[in-house]
Amino acid sequence: MNQRTVTIAKIKTGIVIDHIPSGKAYLISQVLGLNALARETGDIIAIGINFESPSMKKKDIIKVENLSLTRDMLNVVALIAPIATITRIEDGEVIEKHKVETPTRIGDIVLCPDRFCVTNHEQVPGKFDVVTKDPLMLKCYYCETEFFGPLIKYKEKN
Amino acid sequence: MDFEGKDIISMNDLTREEIDEILLKVPDVCNHPDKKSLCKDKVSAMLFFEPSTRTRTSFEVAMRNLGGTVGGFFDANITSVVKEESLWDTVKMHDGYGFHVMVIRHPLKGASRLAAEAAEIPVINAGDGPNQHPTQTLLDLYSIKETQGTLDGLTVAMVGDLANGRTVHSLTEALLKYDNCHLIFISPRDLAMPRFIVDKCKKVSSETGSSFTEGTRIEDYVADVDILYMTRIQKERLLERTAAEKFRSIYRLEAGMLKNSKPHMKVMHPLPRVTEIAQDVDATHHAYYFQQARNGLFVRETLLALILGAVK
Repeated sequence: MNQRTVTIAKIKTGIVIDHIPSGKAYLISQVLGLNALARETGDIIAIGINFESPSMKKKDIIKVENLSLTRDMLNVVALIAPIATITRIEDGEVIEKHKVETPTRIGDIVLCPDRFCVTNHEQVPGKFDVVTKDPLMLKCYYCETEFFGPLIKYKEKN
Repeated sequence: MDFEGKDIISMNDLTREEIDEILLKVPDVCNHPDKKSLCKDKVSAMLFFEPSTRTRTSFEVAMRNLGGTVGGFFDANITSVVKEESLWDTVKMHDGYGFHVMVIRHPLKGASRLAAEAAEIPVINAGDGPNQHPTQTLLDLYSIKETQGTLDGLTVAMVGDLANGRTVHSLTEALLKYDNCHLIFISPRDLAMPRFIVDKCKKVSSETGSSFTEGTRIEDYVADVDILYMTRIQKERLLERTAAEKFRSIYRLEAGMLKNSKPHMKVMHPLPRVTEIAQDVDATHHAYYFQQARNGLFVRETLLALILGAVK
């Protein structure tokens, strides 16, 4: 039987987020607000799930036909996909390739799990410090609650 | 060290050296020859969204003792908060009225940190829900040091509602900054010290030589401790009121239980007490909660004088 060869078309200009653990691409696109980006710009966003990878067996991949996402914005990918790589392509040429780096402070992308936290009652954008990277543990800047594992819930950006 | 203009939001923001410096300044401020005019013409905003007796009164008296005045509110139900004004807006508005410092108590965790972001003037956290109450912790540390002569190498037991009691969270985190402390957490299992604090104790223990134990009975530890820090089972924070009654009857200290305790051992309590310390304890030389509360006035005077730049 022939091996399946499904690919996502090459992009001329944009960003490729590669080496995402399989099944995490949708969450990453949600955290990066790619839906909203696609809606606002009309640019193509391709999400590939369960692609074959020599190093990871199965991996996800995201291609964004847009260069507006900054290195800092993309570093939040490291929270979900610590070994992801980012490739920036302009006019068909790779202009930058790097691994994601876990940020020390993240913004309003997760919810504080403490129901008594002021961020769950007032209109305040959350802020969180990364206490440990592996396992990922976050600390709410406001209420000082530290949390990890399933308590880390990413906000959905519409 | 310069504290002028600084926010006091959480014990986690203060280093051991800063805490020591604040405690060292207490006698200087209390006995200052010009105490009555240290904060002359200064006004403190008091934003009390939650009831308080000691903290509020002592801050008011502290400000007056330093020659300053206070304004603000002590009952959020008579303010625009009932019109759903946001905390941010309430703080911003007070910030613009020409106050020099803001003291805030709020039922939500992190409210004081948010207030400090909104306000240009320095903010003192007078309790943000079950999170932090740094001035209480500073007065606790001052009282411990006053009675034991040191903050290193002490055995401190905390008793009661350790899950919701913010004073014990702050005190634990502060004592972890000192060397060789042995902490004992005594509570019903349902009201045990939160995991993240216990984890912090574990993490810090190797660095500072501190250790901790968790237990369920006061009697098992009363002979070993230097400080017995009692707390109230907080009915208002418990979902089941009947549970509060049950725990209150178990976690009650009586004078008879103190007969094997160390001579210098002191019983402390952030007050208000309900039934957790029997009145017969008051007459023993171990009782220290009323002196502790009075120290709250001295520590708050010191903080105000430091933050307002009246004392360096």
